[in-house]
Amino acid sequence: MPLCLLDDIRKTYKMGDVAIEVLRGIHLQVEQGEFVAIMGTSGSGKTTLMNIIGCLDVATSGRYMLADREISRLSDDELSVIRNEHIGFVFQNFYLLPYATVLENVLLPSLYIDKRRDNFEQKAAGLLQTVGLKERIKFKPPQLSGGEQQRVAIARALMNDPDLLLTDEPTGQLDSKTAVEIMDLLAQMNRDGKTVIVITHDPNIAAYAGRTVRIQDGVIMQ
Amino acid sequence: MHRLLKITFQSIHAIWAFKLRTVFCLISVALGIASITVIVAATEGAYQKAFEIVGRFGPDALLVFGGGEEARATGQRQKTITLDDIDAVKQSFYSAYLVVPMTSMRDIQVSYKDKKYQTLIVGSTSDYSQVWTWPVMQGSDFTGEDVKGLRNVGLIGQFLAAELFGDEDPVGKTILVRRIPVQIVGVLSERGTTPTGNRLDDRVIMPITTIMRKLQNETKYVSAMRIRFLDQQNLYTYVDEMRSFLRKRHRLHQEEPDDFTIISPREIVKFLVALTGSLVAFLGVTGLIALIVAGFVLANLFLLSVRERTKEIGIRRATGAKKRDILIQFLGESVLITTLGGLCGFLLALVAARLLMSIAQFPIHFSWKAFVIGLLLSWAVGIGFGLQPANRAANLKPIEAIKG
Repeated sequence: MPLCLLDDIRKTYKMGDVAIEVLRGIHLQVEQGEFVAIMGTSGSGKTTLMNIIGCLDVATSGRYMLADREISRLSDDELSVIRNEHIGFVFQNFYLLPYATVLENVLLPSLYIDKRRDNFEQKAAGLLQTVGLKERIKFKPPQLSGGEQQRVAIARALMNDPDLLLTDEPTGQLDSKTAVEIMDLLAQMNRDGKTVIVITHDPNIAAYAGRTVRIQDGVIMQ
Repeated sequence: MHRLLKITFQSIHAIWAFKLRTVFCLISVALGIASITVIVAATEGAYQKAFEIVGRFGPDALLVFGGGEEARATGQRQKTITLDDIDAVKQSFYSAYLVVPMTSMRDIQVSYKDKKYQTLIVGSTSDYSQVWTWPVMQGSDFTGEDVKGLRNVGLIGQFLAAELFGDEDPVGKTILVRRIPVQIVGVLSERGTTPTGNRLDDRVIMPITTIMRKLQNETKYVSAMRIRFLDQQNLYTYVDEMRSFLRKRHRLHQEEPDDFTIISPREIVKFLVALTGSLVAFLGVTGLIALIVAGFVLANLFLLSVRERTKEIGIRRATGAKKRDILIQFLGESVLITTLGGLCGFLLALVAARLLMSIAQFPIHFSWKAFVIGLLLSWAVGIGFGLQPANRAANLKPIEAIKG
């Protein structure tokens, strides 16, 4: 079984009386351990697709299987659990809590696990070491550079050992040198066995992926 | 449970992080709670004071004045109670172990050497100090023989004793009451002032016979009688019995009002509580308004905060927070802040109460009741006004929230 299986996924938004079909029958498979780039221009529907793959949103119709579970019919609470256990997000704007320390930011996904203490702090510190930020553990995000903030976000995404690292323009706010560092880090995560999906409009970024999927006007171009 | 703890910790974290919001909410809630706490404490104080006074008045005692309610209102008391009434009460009420007549004269000039003073003269029997639980502190009480023999002896209140005698020992000295020389045999212990400002220690007690004959030229009527009963639990039955007994003796027709007034401990509590009641009501309304305003301040600041922290909510939802987790976090923030505000308000109330007591001699009593009511109200504000913003936060769609 593939990790992600999207079968005829459609998404329609209603704007008053007008219905806009943003995704018009997406078929996509992502295997365990793959590094896939989803490329498209703005307005192509790539962000909507990411939201659906990331279980932040549900499709209007079609079937989506993630880690052998049918996502389309899950409740809001169940979707939260799926996001918590299976998906790590990395966003373009880092999205860290400005008032919490680097360590607390990395710990965020562990708050919403029902399990009792699993020595999360030690694990978070270990992840920060992996992304090269061991010295910054007590810092707050505004004290860090953009590249460092994105590393914190990557560490946070890895906190709950997700099956899928879902990244949306992870280098969009970074200079080209830092962008290379971040993409190298993601590539390293992929070599260590993580499935990575990167959503981008930039061919240089897509070049890191093993496979590139192009999306245009809500459909996958072959 | 563990999860709840972790989320509560997030609330504490945010309370610390958003200091300005915390401080504003805290102050407004504290002010509201403080005023409510003062009111509760003042009400309790009034009741406590009332019961204290009743305790001194005698929870087993009645006081019967001549003159009905209307006469009482104008400050004029008719004399309607006779010595015969008193004998009849003694005969008919078996559990009345003390029935003591009293007659009083206001603003009577008394003098000792060159010192003059206008005071209250009370005529009674040798049971006076017992029936009022008002012990003689120096010297001795006057006796039954003093009453029978119309002797010119008297007990003196502490205040008057100080006015007339200064540091001298009054016992054994002779004062002039109008023109009559009266020997002081004893000094009453200190009693203080009534809530209406009457100085109780400004008086002379003399045998009622002496006063009636020598000062009033009166043989029949007295001002009042005081009765103490053995069985306190039946006191209010005796009030009713006493009323019909005296009406019958005074030959009052059914449509005629009472020509006497019976004062029981219940009336005293009613009177004292009414005295502070108007102030309490005024403060109560003010306090309630202050608390509601605090609630709106809180709700507004939290709505602003939810808008400002939309992204945070999005991030939390993306990393696996359920709606409930977000609700608990934001509700936790507001309830923790109002709890803190409630505690600050209680401390503020303690300070305010001190001020009130020092300027207005207002009886204020703090107990766990005032504290608990304050705490419950602050929770009510925290939940009541924090729920809507927390709900809004919880119901943000993850994709909308993450866009910011």
